Amino acid sequence: MGQLYVEGDLRVIGTVEGGLEVTGSVEIDGGGRVTGPVTAQDRLVVGRSGSLLGDVRVARLVIQDGATFSGKVSMGKQVEAPPKPVEAKAVEVPAPVAEPLKTEEPVKAETPVAVAEPVTTPQPAKGQPAKPHQFQPKPPDRKGKRR
Amino acid sequence: MDVQEAVAESTPVASAEDNGDAKRGGQRKFTMGPNDSLEGKLVYEGDVHVDGHAEGEFKVSGNLDVAQGSTARISIEAANVTVKGQVEGSVNAHDKLTLGKNARLSGDIVVRRLQIEDGASLNGHVRMGDIEQHGG
Repeated sequence: MGQLYVEGDLRVIGTVEGGLEVTGSVEIDGGGRVTGPVTAQDRLVVGRSGSLLGDVRVARLVIQDGATFSGKVSMGKQVEAPPKPVEAKAVEVPAPVAEPLKTEEPVKAETPVAVAEPVTTPQPAKGQPAKPHQFQPKPPDRKGKRR
Repeated sequence: MDVQEAVAESTPVASAEDNGDAKRGGQRKFTMGPNDSLEGKLVYEGDVHVDGHAEGEFKVSGNLDVAQGSTARISIEAANVTVKGQVEGSVNAHDKLTLGKNARLSGDIVVRRLQIEDGASLNGHVRMGDIEQHGG
C-alpha cells in the first residue's frame, strides 16, 4: 500500500494498491483495479471492466454498467487541492518496471518517503501534458490472459 | 419509522388509467404526475413512476423511476431503480441502479449493478452485492 500523487490525468489499466490523488481526471478501465481511496479534482471514470474498492472524493463521477465499485462517495465543490508533496517531481523511473507494488521492496531513488512505488512514466511529461500517464505494473503478461 | 399510513393526495389509479399505461405486458404500473404528492409507505406489486413530491418508504416488486424535476425523500427497494430527479434516502436495487445526468442522490446504496452518467451527483456509501467474493 502506498500513495500515488499525479499532476494531470491518470489512466489505470493495471493494479494499484493504495491511494490515488490526481489533480485532473482518473480513468480505471481495461481490467484496471484500484484498491484504496481516490481523490480527483476533476472526474473519475470507472469503465465497464474497471474495479474500484475505496472511498472516493471527486467533482464528477462516471460509472459504466458492468464496473465494480464499493466505497463512500463524496461529490460537490468541496474537493480541494491536495497538498503538493515536493517528492512528486523526483519520481521518474527511466524504464518501465514490471514490479508489482510493494512498499517492502527497497526503492532505488533516494527520495523522501511519501511516494514509495516505482512509477512508470513513459515520457518525462514535459511537452505533452495532454497525454495521460499509463500505469502498468505488469506489462509483459497482459496479452497472455493469465486468469 | 414514524410514517404509518399512506396518504395519497392524488388518485393514482385514475391517473394511471388516464395515461393508458396501467398495464404493460401484464405488469401493473403506478404513475404519479408532476403535481402529485405522496406521503407514507407504499408497497406495490409492479412498476412505479415517481414524479412531483414523494416522502416515505417505497417497496416495489418491479422497477421504480424518479422523474426529472421531482423531489423525493424516500427509502427505495425495487428491482431496478432509475433516478433522474432528486432523491434523499437509501436505495436498495436488487438488480441495477441508474443515475441520470441530472440526478442528485444522497443516501446509502446497495446494488448489484450501478451506472452513473456524467453530471449526476452522489453522496453516500455504495455497496455492490457481488463484491464480497473479490474482497482483497
